[in-house]
Amino acid sequence: MAAGGLSLPAAERTLEFNRDIRPILSDRCFLCHGPDAAAKNVPRRLDREADAKAARDGKRAIVEGDPASSELIRRITAERPALRMPPVASGPRLTDAQIATLRAWIAQGAKWQKHWAYLPPVRRPPPAVRNRSWPHNPVDRFVLARLESEGLRPSPEASMETWLRRVSLDLTGLPPTPAELDAFLADATPHAREKAVDRLLASPRYGERMAARWLDAARYADSNGYQYDGERVMWRWRDWVIEAFNRNQPFDRFVLDQIAGDMLPGATLDQRIATGFNRNHRANTEDGIVPEEYAVEYVVDRLETTATVFLGTTIGCARCHNHKYDPFDQKEFYRLFAYFNNVPELGRAMKYGNSPPVIPAPTREQQAALEEWHRRIREVERFLEARAQETGRDRQEWSRRIAGEAPAWWRPASGIVAAFPMEGSGEAKPVGGTPEVVEGRIDRALAFDGKTYLDAGDIGGFDIEDRFTLSLWFLSQDTPDGSLLSRMADNPKGKGYGVHLNRGKVHAHLTSVWVDDAIRLETEESLDAGRWHHLAVTYSGSRMAEGVTVWIDGRAARTRVEQDTLYRPFGNAGRAFRESFRIGGGWGAGRRFRGLIDDVRVYRRILEAREISAMALGASIPVIALKMEALRSEPERLQLHEYFLENGADDEVRQAWKRLASLRLEKEKLERSFPTVMVMAERPTPKETFVLIRGAYDKPGEKVEPGVPRALHPLPAGAPNNRLGFARWLVDPANPLTARVAVNRFWQMYFGAGLVRTTEDFGLQGEWPSHPELLDWLATQFVRSGWDVKAMQKLIVTSATYWQSSAGTPELFERDPDNRLLARGPRRRLPAESIRDQALFVAGLLTEKLGGASVKPYQPAGLWQETSMQDMYYVQSKGPDLYRRGLYTFWKRTIPPPMMMNFDAAGREACVVHETRTNTPLQALNMMNDATFVEAARFLGQRMLLEGGPDDAGRLRYGFRLTTARAPSAAEERVLLDGLRFHFDYFAGDPQRARAFLGVGDSPADPAADPRRLAAFGAVASLLLNMDETTNKE
Amino acid sequence: MDPIEERKLLLTRRHFFGLGATGLGAAALATVAAGDAAAADPHQALSHFAPRAKRVIYLFQHGAPSQLDLFDYKPGLVERRGAELPESVRRGQRLTGMTAYQSTFPAAPTVFRFARHGSSGTWLSELLPYTGGVADEICLIRSLHTEAINHDPAVTFFQTGFQLAGRPSIGAWVAYGLGSENSDLPAFVVMVSQGTGNSQALADRSWGSGFLPTRYQGVKFRAGADPVLYLSNPPGYSGQARRRFLDDLARLNQIRQRENPDPEIGTRIAQYEMAFRMQTSVPELADLSREPEATFELYGPDSRKPGSFAANCILARRLAERGVRFIQLFHRGWDQHSNLPREIRAQCRQTDQPSAALIRDLKQRGMLDDTLVVWGGEFGRTVYSQGTLTQDNYGRDHHPRCFSMWMAGGGIRGGLTWGETDDYGYNIVENPVDVHDLHATILHLMGMDHTRLTFKFQGRNYRLTDIHGRVVRGILS
Repeated sequence: MAAGGLSLPAAERTLEFNRDIRPILSDRCFLCHGPDAAAKNVPRRLDREADAKAARDGKRAIVEGDPASSELIRRITAERPALRMPPVASGPRLTDAQIATLRAWIAQGAKWQKHWAYLPPVRRPPPAVRNRSWPHNPVDRFVLARLESEGLRPSPEASMETWLRRVSLDLTGLPPTPAELDAFLADATPHAREKAVDRLLASPRYGERMAARWLDAARYADSNGYQYDGERVMWRWRDWVIEAFNRNQPFDRFVLDQIAGDMLPGATLDQRIATGFNRNHRANTEDGIVPEEYAVEYVVDRLETTATVFLGTTIGCARCHNHKYDPFDQKEFYRLFAYFNNVPELGRAMKYGNSPPVIPAPTREQQAALEEWHRRIREVERFLEARAQETGRDRQEWSRRIAGEAPAWWRPASGIVAAFPMEGSGEAKPVGGTPEVVEGRIDRALAFDGKTYLDAGDIGGFDIEDRFTLSLWFLSQDTPDGSLLSRMADNPKGKGYGVHLNRGKVHAHLTSVWVDDAIRLETEESLDAGRWHHLAVTYSGSRMAEGVTVWIDGRAARTRVEQDTLYRPFGNAGRAFRESFRIGGGWGAGRRFRGLIDDVRVYRRILEAREISAMALGASIPVIALKMEALRSEPERLQLHEYFLENGADDEVRQAWKRLASLRLEKEKLERSFPTVMVMAERPTPKETFVLIRGAYDKPGEKVEPGVPRALHPLPAGAPNNRLGFARWLVDPANPLTARVAVNRFWQMYFGAGLVRTTEDFGLQGEWPSHPELLDWLATQFVRSGWDVKAMQKLIVTSATYWQSSAGTPELFERDPDNRLLARGPRRRLPAESIRDQALFVAGLLTEKLGGASVKPYQPAGLWQETSMQDMYYVQSKGPDLYRRGLYTFWKRTIPPPMMMNFDAAGREACVVHETRTNTPLQALNMMNDATFVEAARFLGQRMLLEGGPDDAGRLRYGFRLTTARAPSAAEERVLLDGLRFHFDYFAGDPQRARAFLGVGDSPADPAADPRRLAAFGAVASLLLNMDETTNKE
Repeated sequence: MDPIEERKLLLTRRHFFGLGATGLGAAALATVAAGDAAAADPHQALSHFAPRAKRVIYLFQHGAPSQLDLFDYKPGLVERRGAELPESVRRGQRLTGMTAYQSTFPAAPTVFRFARHGSSGTWLSELLPYTGGVADEICLIRSLHTEAINHDPAVTFFQTGFQLAGRPSIGAWVAYGLGSENSDLPAFVVMVSQGTGNSQALADRSWGSGFLPTRYQGVKFRAGADPVLYLSNPPGYSGQARRRFLDDLARLNQIRQRENPDPEIGTRIAQYEMAFRMQTSVPELADLSREPEATFELYGPDSRKPGSFAANCILARRLAERGVRFIQLFHRGWDQHSNLPREIRAQCRQTDQPSAALIRDLKQRGMLDDTLVVWGGEFGRTVYSQGTLTQDNYGRDHHPRCFSMWMAGGGIRGGLTWGETDDYGYNIVENPVDVHDLHATILHLMGMDHTRLTFKFQGRNYRLTDIHGRVVRGILS
């Protein structure tokens, strides 16, 4: 709706192409007579002035100043359906008002304009106004000038209480406390409101409130979406957003970090976490998909989201064909696509957990703890360094002493889970026979006959995200074949992990479900029979083949990957994975090992290359000690040195060495506990991008290079033509859209609608701004301020426009139902998460804790089981986590929290920047009967009883003030008192009732209170929570 | 969303979720509409033609039932049993990642017998004896095809006309276009039941409203104490107390309304009243205890089990009686990649009798004429066996190129078999029907032109059928 059309008929006002004409042409004509005209085989384009005014076959569509001669007017008014435009099939004819507008505009000279949003914002001085006393800041002069031109007056100021509640809810998502209200009402200084705003902006709740809308735009969720919808971990990105708002990161940096933080020079951990923005899209994990198809969808999602959030542009329309309305062609879509098409990612994502690229993302506390471990490790290392000379002398002396003594071997001690020296058959349970004890590589070994194996029981219970190392010696008389070590179901496709020999080659695998959920690789080289080999396999927990290394005789072997990715844990959905660790078996009865096995070792860490090469040496320490120091190889030196530190050094050094090993293990354990986050990264060799014909992943057309659309400004000078350059282009002050789109969305947060009401679309099909000069002034102000986000919020909420009462006159509601002219203050139902947060807050239940893993508050039982995959259960949180703010609620995309959905929360499937509000009976049921609200009402009632003073009327007034920030009128107080009496009688009538009512929710009722009174107050508190005024920002 | 259009709908039609927002006078509307482009394009969907059906009952068989074992009779396959599917038939067809590895594609004829039913002589599998009994009422379409090959995109496509999530579901479109006939119940109701076979996940958004206002989304009815989420009062809180509560609440809101003319306050009051009515009407609706014994006999033994497909079929009829526009049942468990003969038999035991009973029941109540019943899944299944083919066992992978559904009731030609596939049941050879065509046909039967039921979002007029869809006139009566 063009707000400019609120008053005068077309012929009597000066018409503007952008405001009045283009919306009509765009909506009804451009589909055919627009940028995509050639494709439609339509001769004339009406989106370009030259075409529209040029003569063709002796006719001109638009003849300046002469509607009667203009073919356009003739055709839209033609009586014969065959001649009339738009054609019958494309919808109804133009309205009389639209025709009159077009006619008047041509009569006025048919002046053309480039689409307003693609022109740089123009900062006009705030206009002169007649009522000089009303404006508080420049915002108000723009608003008032418009009101005065419409013959309207602003509404009176809202009361102090109403304003404080409004601004508290808007800036922090929570209402003011009675103490905050009292302090504000008592503050007679001229800057009382500013002080209140500063206090709210400084509150950490501000970041949570701002983040809530950003999460909608960024389609943040805790699950992958699509069919399987397994869990993912992105909350470190969510917490980064909260922090960024709280530390008032300038908006241009906020954008840069999220789009290309990883590519900034010296990118910090925070900057890399920030790029999670463009990994929040859904990811398909279904077994049957074609990965390439979804790899394209992810890039499209990134581009569409980025374009909507920052540019207010519906670029997605150009995916399959040239944009029908806006000046972007299909090739330009794919040039933009190319910026986001270089991520080393999987088309079929991980079923559970994060998909690469992923980084560990320690929290602030974990970072501090890690620093502490580093400090302690450095301390011990320094001690050992200080003693190095002395230790070296001691070692020489020691090695002379032990040279030639009885054999002893060194193997890494740190992180060992189990060791089987294979000195006798009693180390594990023999199955299918008893292996013979024979001369071995390291002392004795066991001989396996192809039927026997050892069952070592429940050790090595690693799962797919654990790190581990397996090490052993083996000798085979024939071509090496059969299973060496495993923990898996005893068959070739069995679940679990194993190291086997397959016709001479070493074969390592981890299998969840063969064949599509497994890692399997094989060495290129074949091992020879008749001699001892040392074999080690390390796994990094990466769930991909690149995380597995096979070490043969101390060297990393070249391998061929057969299956690359592992999705599901062995112990799926919390179920234990019960298999024995087997030596010489576990790959099926036909694949038992035949030959000798010696010195099996299992570690819960990845051994370092030098450690493995030292082990593979297999030399006895006293034999190494015999060698002259200078003749010892590097692995020999290492072995001797570490053996000495473990066994021969003086007490202090031995203790320090031991401590160092345990500190390193502890540090690694801490590192393993870090949450991860999916991030953006670039492939080392850029991936080629092609125009995809009709958008289909398997129909590549012309190859394209990255680039920005011609209709907009070029890349800034010196910017690289990659994602980083694109990010700089987004926040280049020359960008006509970014600042406008951002301030428009801020405006929407306060007034319920943007100055451009189509917050997602600033294109030709979007709406003309209600206050174009104000929008431009705010946009330029935003850039001038250094993109100061808090300052922008403050500017808006300290305006007189924002201070107006929302209770306009009935005439005003009739004239301007959507408040486009801003002659009254905003009134709007709270967003979904605020409804719940406020209830918990006034009840005194809210757990205020910034950030952390998502939580699972009350939800009706069985919702997940009814429709999700069989192995996903909603395990409700306990204690304080039941009462966290809504933005921390676990968001499963296919089954979102029902309360959130009832109250119009964005679905988080794709980017949403438009706020919607509906008013439904499901909301009423939700507020009255959901355990969350029943329990909150009970606690609010209890609070009224305990804190509300000596009499019931006072207690009710207290509760009323908690929920509405004001005192009830006499009439309201009467209703509440009557209600209280009714409920008291009701609950007194049957003690069962109060007991049952007070039993809702996990937190017990105050045992000291009279249950009837408690229940009655709870019921009245529910009344207060359900009041329209409570659920609204007034 | 477009508030002008919204407001017009509110003013001109009864809407389950929109009653009461009539605080605006006609004068206000006139002022708002002047010079407004959007206002010039009011909904005209209703006025195009007389509806043949007033409501739809859509029995969605989730996971994709095998057309070859139920509907599409291919006697010639028996002698091709185990033979490799010829490339001339497959023609480079895209396979799912699950059978793309397979080295052979042996033709697997069904192990079930087929017979003709009714005076129309419709061929149906022995697994569907009850459906056979209503063969003359149903139109069997054997020539459906879809673009999607995996469950989530395929279900999303069937539900919204687009493979990726984000658009309104068909029920939401119908609710948006026609509103509700019953002011105490939603216009679009969904029920989910569990099958016995391999189940795939189902997303809430399958019945979501996409970019339409959320009031048009499907409301899920569940078995148990709370057929609608949060319907029951808290324990210890009676209906009588709730009545008093709502009177007090209305008083408080009315006091506020005197201070602030925002029409939303009036709407809120009305919605709380409707919530109260739902607290009575929904349990009454969900309570099958008053149904006569004959009903349970008709729908079969499962129908006594709350939450079963059979019980949901009875509920569907009760919802239809009460004027709910779009009733959609999802029955899970049809994804038979392996052990198909055993699993499909169990699935049919749950679905055949109640599906047919619903037709009979509607008919005996005179409601079949204006109720459209639709039965089918999201795609078909392959003629070749997934996994090893043995004498009595096989599996079937996803097959988008052809599959079968049936429709019955309002405006549908009963007894008709429409469309034909080749000898392998692999490709369509006659009268193909795509998903958009099906949508166009359903909307047509409801009296709406699918090209004119539009909603403007992100600068574009969207419709359920996107830029596609033709009404399948051949199946209309």
